[in-house]
Formats: sequence, structure tokens, C-alpha cells
Amino acid sequence: MELKDSEPVVVIYGDINDQTDNQYVRISKTYSFTEPNKFNSVTGARVIVTTQAGSVINYSEITPGVYQSPKFRGRAGVSYTLDVTVDGKKFTAVSTMPQKVVLDSLNFREVSFFGKNSLHLVANFLDPKDIQNQYRYLLSVKSKVVEDVVSEDRFNDGNSVANTIYHELNDLEPGDDIELDLQCIDRNVYRYYYAFGQNLGEGGPPVAPANPPSNISNGGLGIFSVHTSSKRIAKVK
Amino acid sequence: MRRTILLALLLLCFTVSSGQNKFTISGTVSDKSTGETLIGASVKLNGTVVTGITTNSYGFYSINVPSGKYTISVSFIGYGTLVDSVNITKSEKLNFSLSGANDLSEVVISSTKSNDNVSNPQMGLQKVNVREISNVPVLLGERDVLKTLQLLPGIKSAGEGNSGFYVRGGSTDQNLILLDEAPVYNASHLLGFFSTFNSDAIKDLSVYKGGMPAQYGGRLSSVLDIRMNEGNRKSYEMEGGIGLISSRLKVEGPLVKDKGSFMISARRTYLDAFLSLSPDSAINGNTLFFYDVNAKANYQLDDKNTFYLSGYFGRDKLGISDSFGFNWGNATVTMRWNHLYGDRLFSNTSLIYSNYNYVIQNKNDVNEFEVNSSIKDFNLKQDYEYSVGNTNNLKFGINAIHHTIAPGKLTSSDRSSINQTTIENRKGVELAAYVSDEWAVTEKFNLVAGLRLSSFSLLGPGTFKTYDIDGIAIDTLLYGKSKVIKTYLYVEPRISLSYQLGSSSSVKASYTRNVQNIHLMSNSTTTSPTDLYILNSNNVKPELADQVSGGYFKNFFDDTYEFSVELYYKWLQNQIEYRTGTDLRGNSNVEADLLFGKGRAYGIEFFLKKRFGKFNGWVGYTLSKTERQFDQLNNGSWFYAKQDRTHDLSVVGIYKVSTRWSFSSVFVYNTGNAVTYPSGKYQINGRTAFYYTEKNGYRTPAYHRLDFSATLEGKPGKRLQSSWSFGLYNVYNRQNAFAIDFKDDPDDASRTQVVRTTLFGIIPSVTWNFKF
Repeated sequence: MELKDSEPVVVIYGDINDQTDNQYVRISKTYSFTEPNKFNSVTGARVIVTTQAGSVINYSEITPGVYQSPKFRGRAGVSYTLDVTVDGKKFTAVSTMPQKVVLDSLNFREVSFFGKNSLHLVANFLDPKDIQNQYRYLLSVKSKVVEDVVSEDRFNDGNSVANTIYHELNDLEPGDDIELDLQCIDRNVYRYYYAFGQNLGEGGPPVAPANPPSNISNGGLGIFSVHTSSKRIAKVK
Repeated sequence: MRRTILLALLLLCFTVSSGQNKFTISGTVSDKSTGETLIGASVKLNGTVVTGITTNSYGFYSINVPSGKYTISVSFIGYGTLVDSVNITKSEKLNFSLSGANDLSEVVISSTKSNDNVSNPQMGLQKVNVREISNVPVLLGERDVLKTLQLLPGIKSAGEGNSGFYVRGGSTDQNLILLDEAPVYNASHLLGFFSTFNSDAIKDLSVYKGGMPAQYGGRLSSVLDIRMNEGNRKSYEMEGGIGLISSRLKVEGPLVKDKGSFMISARRTYLDAFLSLSPDSAINGNTLFFYDVNAKANYQLDDKNTFYLSGYFGRDKLGISDSFGFNWGNATVTMRWNHLYGDRLFSNTSLIYSNYNYVIQNKNDVNEFEVNSSIKDFNLKQDYEYSVGNTNNLKFGINAIHHTIAPGKLTSSDRSSINQTTIENRKGVELAAYVSDEWAVTEKFNLVAGLRLSSFSLLGPGTFKTYDIDGIAIDTLLYGKSKVIKTYLYVEPRISLSYQLGSSSSVKASYTRNVQNIHLMSNSTTTSPTDLYILNSNNVKPELADQVSGGYFKNFFDDTYEFSVELYYKWLQNQIEYRTGTDLRGNSNVEADLLFGKGRAYGIEFFLKKRFGKFNGWVGYTLSKTERQFDQLNNGSWFYAKQDRTHDLSVVGIYKVSTRWSFSSVFVYNTGNAVTYPSGKYQINGRTAFYYTEKNGYRTPAYHRLDFSATLEGKPGKRLQSSWSFGLYNVYNRQNAFAIDFKDDPDDASRTQVVRTTLFGIIPSVTWNFKF
């Protein structure tokens, strides 16, 4: 199969959570399809975040392509603007932190599909009524992210939600840690991740692939997400 | 000089003949043994004037000629030609009965040749002879008119596992499929493996790829006019077949001998009967079946009035144990009344009800819900046919359709975390009036010229939003019941003409404009029975298509071979695409996610058919292109539509070895679909993502396949006639690509692999057919 390679395009992946911590922006470039998977870092970029109030936060590069901020936390209802300059080219993105929804508990569930049983994790929480909520679920097993999916509340608004994370956990051993991070993300970020999943065949019928709609301007790929975070750990017995 | 004299003489004849007394000959042409009327039978008169006409959808014809002696010749493919001499001195009723192929020797059949395909001005029309297709092999041994249709040039299959087809670059919802005048919304069972048309019940199938006459409207790319059998008016008959996957049965007979008849045809699959035999509880609890019933009755009150009642009911059911259920189906009912005013004005009044609905059930405790969705149509049609002289046949009428779309009613129990919700219904009315004249201008030049005036009105009640170019609602208005929110009005010219070059060749040309007011929502690469329809609105304009086509037609070796080459160019407007990341499931604001643009499709189609003899069949080849342009997609540049397939070839061969054995074979080849492949990759939070530049800039691998089938007819002369059909689908087991995906290599996370999924390899089938 012959695939035409394009000129490298800048990819910006940045997020701000509601924990007082260093926040990160990762900048890389696209590379050839035939090369091994890697983080194709972009160094020497200028990265700043401006809050709605006008405060400017400067990021500094700590390892190639990874830019770190001083410790701060994002606040609910506030918009943050990310400005990145790479080789003179400017990229901007805006994201607003939604109100926090707390992850109440985790439990395990046996899911049977065509005779095959497998173990899955279920996230339990209460969805706020009359607000459009979007969620991102990051499932980590032994400190490595194994599943990254999103959902929204148009069908279960205001209800107790028990969402099954469709990732088989059959290979776990006693003592293994499973962590779920329930994030509340804004509408644009949700749309990005939903389209990302669609390209991989998740969440509905297969679609013709396309670059997910990014909130980053000037043709930049990637996403800037300002989100809340609520984590819980389940230990395998 | 000679031509001028000829022309003058012709004009003279015309003026002279118009001064003489004119009488009307009218009547029906039917099958002698069953009484079944014949659609499109040719009635030719040779005498004081030379003229001819074909019977309409009810087997009726009417010609106006001056008095005198005539030779009448009545013919229809597959029947012996009836020749008679008649002295016309008054208007009279002349009904004709033709003897079928079964009753004749082969020699006589071959004399029923016609060059209607050459002389008929109607361009873009392909008639499918239902008897002929019984020998063409298809998937799983099921005779399927829709699958056979896709072996003709210009008509392309949507691919294995998909229902629907593409005609001249159009999409799957741009085909008007009519079963006894009722629109059929989902023409397939079990996700495309079978069509909803049981060929036992079908009398006539006409496909218009272009040059659609003015009496049809509502879809851009094609019209599939399917007429069911009326039923044997003379004796009772039973016909059926038992196959590996499904069986069918047809019962027909007279209600009142020679005055009325009925026909009921039913089909059911029993794939799940095999599943229930499995000891595995995860398999035996599953449901997978479909059934359909075609029923019809007619009664001829007197020679001026006939009444018809026909219906279709079909259902597909898919269920996974106790957790998931899914069923869908069409139901149509048509009531018709034919009335003759005098002997020249034929009228048909039809009242039609059509319903397509689906139900999805998720029975999983916590997230339990049920979704119901439907589209219901009420349709009133009044059509008139009036023959003027012996050169003009006028058709005119009106059509009104009321649509109600219920996009989704979600119900759930109190335990469920899913809320009950109903997406607002939408109602609209399509109105049309048309007039069309088929005019034999000269002996060589024929013209079908028509005009269709069509309108669409969106009706309340409901809340209607208007969106800007970015999908943001700029206006929200509430309307009361039956309030007209928006009306669109269009004029659709339809012109088709033919010029005879010789006795067996002609050139034809046509221009049509078509308007489509109802649109199928699907952003998926596969078709699904849960795809919804929407009507025009403040945001969605009617789709438009302007098509010009031209062709050369030639029959040779005494009408044994039929050849044609057709060129077409289609301009499409107000085509619909979707923003990236659109989720159509239970979406109450679909219109915010729609993008609008234009399209163009053009191509050349070649067709060569051998109609008679021990060995017959056809070759169809299409070279074509279909593209779209949307300002918000692909940086506003033109891109190939998914269904663009540069080359499309079908070869069908049927060989009747002896009276009992016949073999047939089908070979298809087509360029793959246009797809989007990556031009690079990158990482997001450790996950591999692909970078896309050109939309649909690549092709899936070419698709090709060979099928065989053999039919053994039972010994003739018995009351119970039977036959065995053996089939082999995909003889050389080509692993055609159903889907091509890019994934991280499971064995080496640093590498990307390309995964090809195939749907069907080689599949054998056996069917036993019977008739008595």
C-alpha cells in the first residue's frame, strides 16, 4: 500500500486540571506512517496560558517537547487561553473548566457477549440535572493508561449513572491497581475525543475518518482541555 | 430532393388522414393461460396509417386511428406474437390474449423479437424480465431482482453487507423504489443480504437511470417501478422453494373466474432455527430472522372499472439473548381504482399508506431502554392517460404525499438510568402536478416531453431552530399544528427523444430535473436499518439534480443482440454531508451538524446483450466519476464521493444445455470505493492518531468475484413441476475487502498495521423449487 507522506504538522496536547500541581503542554509533529510510533517532540516553542482575569502563566521546557507550568490549579467556570509559538507560527486554543462531578465509587461487573464472559470496571456518579455534562474516563492499569473514552448526558441527565468501561480486565492479578480518572470536559473537548474514537471505530457505526475537530487554531492538531479530575483506585484481591 | 418529396407526402398523408373519421381501438393485453395483464406489450397497427403503442401499467392500450383495413400485431417478450387483420369501421374494444413461452416451441419464441429498446424514445429505461433473472446466480441461492439489477451498467451495488445501490453516482437514498406505487423505504433484509422483493410476486420491473418521465418524482437518481402479479384469474396455482437459509411460498387463483383474482406470496428465513439447535446458551438464545408477505387482490366490476388492493408486510428481527433486541420493517397498503371514461381516457386513482419503522431494545437492567422510530406516508395519486389521435399519448395527474417522521421515542423503566425522551415529530406535504406527452412527431422522431410542478411544505406543530454556518442556533420558533413553516416550489422539466437511424438503430437524448424533499441521514460507511430520514426545513433545502444524457442504440442479427452506449452528466445541488464528530444516534438537533454542498457525476455506459438462443446473457461496463464539493470539507476542494468507482464491469452468461439442465455464471469487477487513508501519524497522550489530508484520495482494492449456478428442471409433463438449483458464490474465494483499518500492531506497539476485513468467501447453496 502506497501512502503519500505529508509535510509535518504541529500537534499540541495540553491540559489543565483542578489539582494544585504542575500543568503540562506536549508539543510534537506528525511523522511518516511507516516509522515506529514515537513522540516526535518539538523543542524551543514558546508556551503561555492566560486566565480569564488576565494573569499570564509561563511554561518552560523540561524535556524535549514537554512544557511545564509552575504549580497552579484551574477553577470551575473560568476560561483559559493557551498560546503556543513554534518557529514563528502562532497557535491559540480556549477551554473552560466545567463544574466538578465527583466519582462516587467503582465496582466490577461481568459482561457476557456471545458466550464469552469478561470483567469490566463500572464508574458510578451522579449527573447534575439540567446542565449539559461531558465526561472523559481514563482507565489506568498498573499506572499505564489503557482506555480513554468519553460520554455525555443527553440520555441520562440528572440520574445516577453507572457507566461500564469497555476494556477487558481479565489479565489482572491480585494486588494490581486499577485507577479511574473521571474528568469533566467542555463541549469542544468532548467533540474532539468523540471524533477521535469514531476514527478508531468506537462509539457507533464506522465512519469515514477525518481529523478530529480541534480547538487549536491555525491548523494545529491536538487538543487543549481544561477539566476537573476525580480519581478512585480499585485494588484486585 | 427525394427526401423533400417524402416529407411532403408524409405531411399530405397526415393532413388527409386527419380529415377522415377517427375511431378508437382499446382494450387489454393479457396472458392467455393466467389472465395476468401484460405491462408494456406492443400493439402495432399497419394499414391506413402505421402506428403503435405499448400497454400501460394495467395492460391497457388505446389508439385513435382512421377507418380502414389494418394488420394488428400484438407482442410481448417471452410470448408468441399474435397477428390478426381487422377492418376498423367503428370504435371498438379489442382485448388480446398471448400464449406464454411454456406453451410454445423455441422457434416461435424467437420470433417475438422487438426493437422497442431502439424505437422507444424513453431514455435511461431498463426493463428487467423477471423470468429471465431466475437463472442468474446470486448469494445463497436466492433469486433477487435488486441484486440482478446491479449487474446492469450505471447501477452499482453498495457492497457486500450493505443494502441499497448507487445509480449514476447518486447516493442510496436517491432511488425512488415503488412497489405497486407505494414507496419502500428500506429495500433490504438482514443488513443487505436479501432484498425485500420476492421475485415470485413480481410481474414487471422498470428502472429509470435517467430521462424519468414526469409522472415520477421525489428522488434524484432513479426510479424503480415494481408491479406485483395480479394472480391467476383462471386456475389455482402454487409455487415455492425450499432453500438452506430461507423458504418461500406463493398461492394464487381466481376470486371469481375471469373477473378477479388474488395472490399471496410469503418468505421466511430460519437462520435462528439452526442457532437454537446449539447447546451453547449464548448462541441458542439468539434471534435472527426475517419474513415478508406480498398480498394482492383485484376485481373487475365491468369493462370500465377494476379495483385493486395490494399490500406488503415485512419484518426483520435480530436479538442477542435477553440483552438486546432489534427489529424493523416496512408495511405498505395500496388501494386502486381503474376507470375508463369513454374509450380514450384512462384513469387510475390510488390511495397509498406506507410505514417504515424500527425498534431497538436494550434489556440490560441499569441502562434499560426501548427506542421506536418511524416514517409514515399517506399518499393520494390521480393519474390520467389520454390518447390523442394516433400520434400522441397524453399523461397528466396530481400527487399528494403527507409524511410524518417520528425520529425517536425513547421509553425506559423507572429503574433505568436512561431518561424517557421523545424527539419531536416532523410533518410535511409534497404536492405535484404533471403533464407529459408522448408524441410520434414523424415516423422516425419520437418525443416524450413533460413538466412536473412540485412543492414541499414543512408543517407544525413543533419547535424549529435555524442554524448558522457553524451550527449555532440563531433562531428558535414555536409553531402550532398544521402551520406552514416553509414552502419550496420547483418546476421539473422532463424531456426525452429518439431518432431512428434505420430499422434497428437509433440515437436518443434526454434532459431531466429532479427534486428530492426527504433525505436519509447517515454519516457511516455502512448502511443501517436505523438510519433516519429528515424533511426539508429552514436549514435543509431540497436536493436538486439536472441530468443530460445521450445514447446510441442498435439491435443486430435480427434483434437477437442488443447494444447501447449511453453518456450522462449530472449536476447535483444541496447535497448533504456531516461535520466531523457527528453522532446521529438519538440526535434531536441533527440539522446543526449538517453541511451543504454540490456534486457532479458523469460517465459512459456500454451494454451488449444476447437475448435469445441456447446461450444468452449480457456484458455491462461503466466508466464514470462522481465528485462532491463542500466549502467546509477537504479545504473546499472537490473530492471523490465514496461510491466513485472508475470501472464497473458485469458479465452474465446463461447456457441452456438441454431441456433440463442450465448453467449460469456471473463475473463482476469494480474499482474500489474512494477512501481516506492517513498521510502521517502522531501521538496524543500515548495513543497513536492518524493525520488525514485528502478526503477520499485513496481506493480500497478492486473488488471482483465469480459465481456459478446450475439448475436442473424436473421431468416435464407432471402436475408438480420442480427444479433443483445449485450455487457457488465467490468461486475462487477472493478475499474482497469489506473494511480497511489502521491499528497499532498488537504484537509490536511501535508499529502500525493495516487490517483488511472480508465478509464473504466461497459460499455454496442448494434450493429446491416447485410449482403446481
